[in-house]
Amino acid sequence: MEPAGSKIISREHLVRRLAVASGSNNVQAMMRLLADYVGASHFLLARYDLIQEQGLDFIVTSNWPFDLVRRLGSDLASGYARSTELEKCLSLLTPSFALLPDDIIPPDEISRQYCALTFCVGRTRFSLMLLFREGIILSQERLREVGLISAYGASFAEARDAKAERDFELTERELECLFWIAEGKTSDEIAVILGISRNTINNYITSVMRKTATKTRSEAIAYAVRNNLV
Amino acid sequence: MGYTRSGMADGPGTIQNLRLQRAASRSDVFPKLVAMQKNLRARHFAVFRVAGAGLPNKRKLICELENWGPGGIEQQAELMSAYGDIFLDHIEVSILPLIWNGSQNASFAEAGEFSPLIRRLESKMVGFSGIAFPVRLGALGNGYVSFLASAIDLSSDLIIDQHVRSCQVMMDLLALDERRTVPAETLSEREIACLQLAGDGRISEEIAEKLGLSVHTVNAYLGSATIKLDSVNRIQAIAKAIRLGYIH
Repeated sequence: MEPAGSKIISREHLVRRLAVASGSNNVQAMMRLLADYVGASHFLLARYDLIQEQGLDFIVTSNWPFDLVRRLGSDLASGYARSTELEKCLSLLTPSFALLPDDIIPPDEISRQYCALTFCVGRTRFSLMLLFREGIILSQERLREVGLISAYGASFAEARDAKAERDFELTERELECLFWIAEGKTSDEIAVILGISRNTINNYITSVMRKTATKTRSEAIAYAVRNNLV
Repeated sequence: MGYTRSGMADGPGTIQNLRLQRAASRSDVFPKLVAMQKNLRARHFAVFRVAGAGLPNKRKLICELENWGPGGIEQQAELMSAYGDIFLDHIEVSILPLIWNGSQNASFAEAGEFSPLIRRLESKMVGFSGIAFPVRLGALGNGYVSFLASAIDLSSDLIIDQHVRSCQVMMDLLALDERRTVPAETLSEREIACLQLAGDGRISEEIAEKLGLSVHTVNAYLGSATIKLDSVNRIQAIAKAIRLGYIH
């Protein structure tokens, strides 16, 4: 049950060194420390909101072999769509283990099994994936800690560029209408609630549907719920 | 030591599995919080959740569990008026723990070497010192597990442990809620298919054609799904179905 014999470091020691890395905003250094702490050999930190079939924009930092990252990208995207938001919410920081696809050859002495866990900072969900040497058993407790501390690291970065992300294309009034529609209110009812005319409400909704490229009210609401806008 | 082998490809486990690991009722969560309070040598705990997720000006913190004791309402009001807005803004961008010094004599909160990894709030805004652990689960169940004390001196060990446990507490609460709101009758496959297509922007005629049903039948399915989901119209039903995970 000993995670990675020689590299083992205490929590105090870890925190001291993390404080230094966070001060200089060095995410890569922070992740390397955490990988050492948990006994993993390779780390990959990804943002789920940016995962797409093509492109590798979603990688925040990684020291995985590049081929592996490229191959795994599309698998990640499809795997993510397969579980519901509630399931994701209920598995925060919970490590899960999976096998690399058969056509991938992992680096020497690295196990085919990899570990993944998720955490959220603001509206962004991150996935931390770790490769480790054959025969090493990672401690569940330490994995959770590492997830939490990675989230601290991501918080530093998020707080810095929060301004840009906050600036979503929908106006406050439009969001307000969406919120009430999702609660099952009709345009007439919303007109009473907000004290504006029913036609104005309908204009807001039309404008939401235009901005979100949705065809019906139902689809607009579905879009808003999926993207955590209401 | 436990070893989860649920593959990534199959998602993080079924809802049923996740439920099994969790508390059966809120009375099971309470002792966990008391134990954490003891670890931190705090006097009180309070768990807040963010409600009204979407709108910046509609968001508020709801106290879900607490052990304030007599005079608690005032303390809670004091805490919320002093730091409520900061709590709400903070959790939108960060999960660093929040810590503050109280105004009472000899009241302080220290985090030693962990200090660079916490955010310190303005001192002496409330009577007690305290620490609040933000927990961000995703679209649902976000909030804070907070502890108040006259004096707290925290090691990094303690902070990390209690923050991990705070995450468990918030997941427990969400799992309990979810169980309560599960519709009495579960949705049929047809109802789910109709809801999914409606959520994808199809009108009833298109859904009918796609599923090989009549428009009336589609409307009937959507109507019965609306009733089962305890909603007033199909739009609310779609919103609920996504939140409950019936459709994507």
